[in-house]
Amino acid sequence: MNAAMDSGACPGYEAKLEDYVGRRLSNGEAQRVAEHVRSCDACATALDDAVASVRLLRLVEPVGSPGPRFARIVMARIRSEREASRDPRGSWQPFISLAWRLAATASLALALMLTYDVVRHARTLQTAGTTEIRDLVTSEADRVPVNGDEVLLMVAETNRGKR
Amino acid sequence: MSDVPKTVAAQAAAIAVPLSGRSRAEEDRNLVRQAQNGNDSAFEELVRRHQQRVFALVGGILRKREDVEDVAQQVFLKAFVSLKRFDQRSAFSTWLYKISVNECWDYLRKKKVRPLVYESDLSEEQVSRLDGVISQDRPLPAPSERAEAKELVERMLERLPDQDRQLLLLKEVEGFSVEELAEILDLNVNTVKVRLFRARGRIMEHYRKRIGLDGLAGHSPGGGGKVRQI
Repeated sequence: MNAAMDSGACPGYEAKLEDYVGRRLSNGEAQRVAEHVRSCDACATALDDAVASVRLLRLVEPVGSPGPRFARIVMARIRSEREASRDPRGSWQPFISLAWRLAATASLALALMLTYDVVRHARTLQTAGTTEIRDLVTSEADRVPVNGDEVLLMVAETNRGKR
Repeated sequence: MSDVPKTVAAQAAAIAVPLSGRSRAEEDRNLVRQAQNGNDSAFEELVRRHQQRVFALVGGILRKREDVEDVAQQVFLKAFVSLKRFDQRSAFSTWLYKISVNECWDYLRKKKVRPLVYESDLSEEQVSRLDGVISQDRPLPAPSERAEAKELVERMLERLPDQDRQLLLLKEVEGFSVEELAEILDLNVNTVKVRLFRARGRIMEHYRKRIGLDGLAGHSPGGGGKVRQI
């Protein structure tokens, strides 16, 4: 027979042999497997090993049952984890709150400074503009003659300047 | 006519098991729904219903009692945290067992410690005890000898690849069916059978090596062909 693969059994028979060991085959199927095993040394040896392994593993005991308080311990752990996740800030809370206050104060101070600066700048501009206009108006007003003498005087000054 | 009640009774008996399984699954679904709505008692009930199987599953993979306890608790914590996302398309048990397997693998990955293995071959006496255990012809050894033989088998298991050891322990020691294993491990049922069968061959190979029969083809521990009669 073409024995191959890890178990040494015929590859097409490994699953059936496992079922045979676990008594999961119908009578007819079990008969067919038994017939094959009788004619195939490789499968016969592999089946011997498998059956022996069942007896060998009967020696090993299960790990056991959870203790009677297992469920309560799990629930206690869940509750404590939940508490921790509800208040993730925990012991950092005072520092976090202080940081928030500082940040708020800094923002307010910055806003006040900006406002003050903007207002001051606007006032400077306004003052400068008023002075210029007044100067302009004043000089223009100076130039306007109010009587004949002034007209003559302006003409004389103008002529003198040309000269 | 007298056959009629018998037939009805037989039919009722035939559907009794699936129905009880179904009603258990239905109860699980209700408990999950309640737990998803914030009912802690419902989740506690789910823990009680599944703790034994989760423990067996984790035990089959990790083996050490203290590790098992710890990881089993972790499994339920994970389940609680993820419960809102569980859409109940699969059974709660299947979902929970998959979490269990993943937790075990994570744990093993983090730990990365393999127990030290006793390397020397077995003494004549130990061989005879082990042979006594696996032979159908001989009576089981006395409890003290059984304990020693058990330790030897545990050591042989430790030498197997992780997957082989886990499959053998889950199937033969913790009592999981092939179908359950296939579902938990996301494998085809046939693949599980083949892997199990090969793992059996491998542990017996270790057994032969231990008793110094390596290379002796066809050695049938405990009386050769008679073992085959199961």
